[in-house]
Amino acid sequence: MATYDWVFSGLGLDRWCDAGGSSAPTSLADLSAQTRGTEGTEGFDPWELPFPSMDALNDACPAFPQSRQLTRGLEQGFLDVKDAMSVVLDPITQPLSWALEGALYAILNTPWWIVIPILLLITWAVSKSWKLVSFVALCIMGLAFIDHYDYAMQTLAIIFVCAFICVLFGVPIGIAMSRSDTMRNATIPILDMLQTLPPFVYLIPLIFLFSVTEPKLYGIAIILYAIVPVIRLTDLGIRMVDKHVIEAAEAFGMTDRQKLFGVQIPLALPNIMAGVNQTIMMSLAMVVIASLVSAPGLGVLVLRGIRNLELGVGLVAGLGIVLLAVILDRVTKASLARINTTQKT
Amino acid sequence: MVGDRDDKTTAIQIRNLYKVFGEDPVNALEHVKQGVSKSDLLQHHGHVIGLNDINVNVKEGDITVMMGLSGSGKSTLIRHLNRLIDPTAGEILVNGEDILAYNENALRRLRRHRMSMVFQNFALLPHRTVRQNVALALVVRGEPRSEYEDQAEYWLDRVGLKGNGHQYPNELSGGMQQRVGLARALASNAPIMLMDEAFSALDPLIRTDMQDLLLELQAELSKTVVFISHDLDEALRLADHLVILKDGYVVQQGEPQTILMDPQDDYIVDFVSDINRARVLRVRSVMRRTNEPQPDDMPEIGPEDNLEHVIAVSHGDLGQTFVVRDQGRQIGVLDMQDLMRALVPTSASEGGMRHRASA
Repeated sequence: MATYDWVFSGLGLDRWCDAGGSSAPTSLADLSAQTRGTEGTEGFDPWELPFPSMDALNDACPAFPQSRQLTRGLEQGFLDVKDAMSVVLDPITQPLSWALEGALYAILNTPWWIVIPILLLITWAVSKSWKLVSFVALCIMGLAFIDHYDYAMQTLAIIFVCAFICVLFGVPIGIAMSRSDTMRNATIPILDMLQTLPPFVYLIPLIFLFSVTEPKLYGIAIILYAIVPVIRLTDLGIRMVDKHVIEAAEAFGMTDRQKLFGVQIPLALPNIMAGVNQTIMMSLAMVVIASLVSAPGLGVLVLRGIRNLELGVGLVAGLGIVLLAVILDRVTKASLARINTTQKT
Repeated sequence: MVGDRDDKTTAIQIRNLYKVFGEDPVNALEHVKQGVSKSDLLQHHGHVIGLNDINVNVKEGDITVMMGLSGSGKSTLIRHLNRLIDPTAGEILVNGEDILAYNENALRRLRRHRMSMVFQNFALLPHRTVRQNVALALVVRGEPRSEYEDQAEYWLDRVGLKGNGHQYPNELSGGMQQRVGLARALASNAPIMLMDEAFSALDPLIRTDMQDLLLELQAELSKTVVFISHDLDEALRLADHLVILKDGYVVQQGEPQTILMDPQDDYIVDFVSDINRARVLRVRSVMRRTNEPQPDDMPEIGPEDNLEHVIAVSHGDLGQTFVVRDQGRQIGVLDMQDLMRALVPTSASEGGMRHRASA
């Protein structure tokens, strides 16, 4: 006797229940109850009333599915469509693997005395500040001095590739959102989901879809996680452009294209750059987690620290990540500040 | 400036123009045509009348000023002329062509070549230099840099901003920014210039400066200017033709001096009672027309002189009489007593809002 027998007998479903038999595997609780031989002996006790969950209903009617069948069904369903999805997704995402492999190969096989000056040159180009350049030089050389150069460069290479792709796709999506409310209403729930989904959860379906040895696996995880801010801020930035300026642009007969490239994007640039900054920072956060699925870089050392309880290795790598974060943040913020001063409104 | 209005070609003709704001403007328009008032329409139908049966002819080479308080629909009206806003019903003819029938391309050509606009809040592009802002219309048309830069420099010079071309708009004061706005409109070389409260955001002295600048340029360029203002002094100063709007309909339109001497509505009387009559009334509106020969030693004044000027010339002598000559030909006489009589202020009307406010 189970608590919810009356539900099924009341609905006249007794026969369906019996016909279903007990196909579900016996749970540990059932087993222990059987050995104790207490099942269905005592009377009704409201204090012990179970919530009418799937498992409780299964007790009353064996044909009713248990909740573990839900998760198994989901898994089965995913596995069923997996092959079909792979056929489509594999070729589409293959360039990402190439880009990541190429970037990692290039940055590791170029001698340090070329890579470091190039990085400093980029810093100078976007920030025009000697102070920042010397700070970046100090950080990178410090990391190189403690033999973390290769790891740090791997992490940087992955971030560059992923952030670039985020901007490549994020800005056009943001522009589309700013122009159509329908598009915006459709996109925002997806962005919300991407932003609230715990980072680990991204990895689960991806592991099933792609092989763990492929770089695109972590590439996709990073991009999905990091693309959200650049989309949001592009949309916001374009929507916030002064209505009067847009009106003037229209009054002088600008085409939509002239308006977009001549007025809206330039005026939204500070916001877009703020989005790029956020995107880079989130890529960095994800690249560490992605070391779980074979992303190379400083994250691997952190993981080693956790797995092998190598305290020093983990902490030093963690501090290296902090240094990288500070560098990336400072450099992107410096370029943002430069944009802001050239177009004070 | 005076000219006969009927001699001039009509540049823009506005016919039976209606604009209703709301969810279902076409149905609401029926109520408007049946004479439902603005407040009733808002209360019972949830729609707002923007424009109510506007009929105005804008003559070529004139400054037509549309004046009204805020909410009178004047900014809405001017935005209909280049279709930044589309009307609910009615016709707008520019040089005889119905611009409401224009497709996107034709409309863009109209905005690029035939109309330019000056905005109340300047609306300059903050990320472009002053020179690039002035050249906006030319850049939009796709003219090469070598050509538009010279043009931009020329117009910057004309509005008194020579040497500011490399600066960014935010580095200039409000008055200077609006000079840029004016230069931008002039540089497009469009025959029609729309000015939406162009000087309202400026402080009084600079505003007078800008009015002078506009009149000076207008004397040379003879553009067709549609000017929106909420300031009667400004309107009277600039207008060849004055249109007074209230709650979306035209209360009175005509030559400014006529409106001043003969206001036909309490609303206008209220406006008129508030201004310096000596400054806006002109000799031709108050003189006695006569061809009778006058004594040779009588001092001369012109028909376009304002009364303030005449008082200054008379040194306050009330017995003085002037002969009015237009290009050497005598057209009338003005004695100081007539002048004083014209200066007697119309008091605020009893039904008007100013009376109610002070009661």
